[in-house]
Amino acid sequence: MSQTVESPDFDLRVKKALADPQLKIALERTTGNARRKRAAAVAAWPEFVAARAAAAAIKDHAIDHMAYYLEVFERNAIASGAQVHWARDSEEACKIVVDICKTAGAKTVTRSKSMLGEEIGLPHALEAAGIRRVETDLAEHIIQLANERPSHIIWPAAHHTKENVAELFHEHHRDKSPTPDIESMVASARKELRDDYFAAEVGISGANFLVAETGAICTITNEGNAELTTTPPRVHIVTAGIEKIVATTEQALQLTRLLVRAATGADFTQYTTFHCGPKRPGDLDGPESFHIVLVDHGRTRMLADMPEMLRCLRCGACLNHCVVYRAIGGHAYGGAYPGPMGSVLTPVFDGLAESRDLPQACTLNGQCREVCPVDIPLPTLLRGWREKSWRGEIEPTATRASVTFWAFIAARPKLYHLGLAFALPLMRLFARGGWISKMPLASGWTAGRDLPKPPSSSFMAQYARRRNGK
Amino acid sequence: MTARSTILQSLRATRPDAASPRDIFAESDACAAAMRKTLPPLAVNDLPGLFAARASAEKVGATVERVAALADLPAAVARYIADNVMTPNFALQPDPRLQKLDWGGLRPNETLRPDTVLSVGLALCGVAETGSLVFHSAPTAPTLFAYLPIHHVVALDAQTLYLRLEDYATGVRGRPSPRNVNLITGASGTTDIEGVLTRGAHGPGKLHIVIYG
Repeated sequence: MSQTVESPDFDLRVKKALADPQLKIALERTTGNARRKRAAAVAAWPEFVAARAAAAAIKDHAIDHMAYYLEVFERNAIASGAQVHWARDSEEACKIVVDICKTAGAKTVTRSKSMLGEEIGLPHALEAAGIRRVETDLAEHIIQLANERPSHIIWPAAHHTKENVAELFHEHHRDKSPTPDIESMVASARKELRDDYFAAEVGISGANFLVAETGAICTITNEGNAELTTTPPRVHIVTAGIEKIVATTEQALQLTRLLVRAATGADFTQYTTFHCGPKRPGDLDGPESFHIVLVDHGRTRMLADMPEMLRCLRCGACLNHCVVYRAIGGHAYGGAYPGPMGSVLTPVFDGLAESRDLPQACTLNGQCREVCPVDIPLPTLLRGWREKSWRGEIEPTATRASVTFWAFIAARPKLYHLGLAFALPLMRLFARGGWISKMPLASGWTAGRDLPKPPSSSFMAQYARRRNGK
Repeated sequence: MTARSTILQSLRATRPDAASPRDIFAESDACAAAMRKTLPPLAVNDLPGLFAARASAEKVGATVERVAALADLPAAVARYIADNVMTPNFALQPDPRLQKLDWGGLRPNETLRPDTVLSVGLALCGVAETGSLVFHSAPTAPTLFAYLPIHHVVALDAQTLYLRLEDYATGVRGRPSPRNVNLITGASGTTDIEGVLTRGAHGPGKLHIVIYG
């Protein structure tokens, strides 16, 4: 089943999102909860600012020595019985995973939520290979039923209200829940997925951390679906970006402490699990083979161009606090990752020419950096893309012409003030009751909101008059 | 050129190996030490008390009781079964310390199945800061005992409690890594529908911890 087709045009996607009143309700419920809980968790940690700097330093250390640590990780993982694969891009990564599934004779695979999997298009690759894919995270299960992409990296179904979910479950689940209360819906999903955990030949997970000192990979969930995905099947496949490397178990736990507070406001995840190789002699459960696919997909380029972005823990705090994300939701961004971090990452994966609108869709209010648990300078990185877009001459002609015109005027103060002296009285002619609701050349603004009536002269002009005592 | 060498070469082209493994190790230790100076404050009177307070916090969602010795576990399980109106059948983690207990009228012989209602286990240790139980997978500690049932009752030796996550990590550092290290912090929960916390998503909806010693 192919996914709901979205418009390739960013403006159309945004218009569609803005016209959806239910989306706004769903987003505000989920992100509002997340913002309140995060604020409470951070308030209870007096040294949070210092901890954030320490977390950034832990990630930077691993990034500085990434090649060294990946080799140490690989050595230890192989010693534990794991098979380690390397993939330069999404095609290589998907091929490795599909080939392992085919060799294992897999008809059904279970999958525990992994953003890297979404990034490399793994759901589609499995589908194309005729392998039945069962998403086990509750939100991923919801969007699989709805035939959609995730709209948030922590809450992939953030765009759905409970009423939507009730309808989906009623249509697709064997048990028809009589009431749309959340508790019955969660119980229904638990029951629905239970058989698949044991029917699957392969379980696929992502990794929140790759631990160099042990060769283990770490998954964190609150539902417990990761362990049920990775333990019963014969084969466990991990797909992980190479930037997930950390030096030690201790540092993985230290970063989790920040990641969880930033993401959900909890002190720790319910299930924090380190997976190190396949079943050992005498073990009563666990996979017989354990594969780790280490994926580059643009990360080696990011090390040169924007190493700070490799710190990203995928907590979603920047999404929850972004005024643009909260208005348009995740699907409008068009990539695997939405919000501020997505607007930085998508041009890396898809090319700037394809995604130049994303870094523009930002107010640069700096909220994203303020709430980032590893202090990524997201506004600076977004501005970097805007500069590249300008220098690469991929801005539309109208935009280039108007910005060039603006730059010409702004660099000539006399001309600028002369222009203002003409424009302000002219704009005032269109004002009714203190607001301008319609004006030539300004429909892009006034279609959505009114402009305040400007004063009769500019600040500079008024200041000059007052200084001269007039 | 293989994908492996392409990736490692381009990483090294940007960040050449400039430090010895010994220096890298020292720098890594300094990073963890710097973080240890910033940790959230903890009011520590006694470790079991802190653990119990953290594990039973609403957002963690476990229930906790204290008994004198591991021999008191069967009575605690019997009370739990009576309180939750369940049959006396359950799956017992195959740990000899649990198997040799006198279970009286209880029936700890159930095989673990996808629809098992109750399992009873023994944690390797606990972390008081977060109220987390730690399990290391082994023939005596299969992973699924902590994930399949709806109810999980776990015995925890008070003497095995660590204060911080860091204390656990440094405590096991250098020892062979088990296949699974499971840090379990409360009952399974999800906030996937409208951000509302709901229990029993896939793992146990109820976690009861019996601290002994």
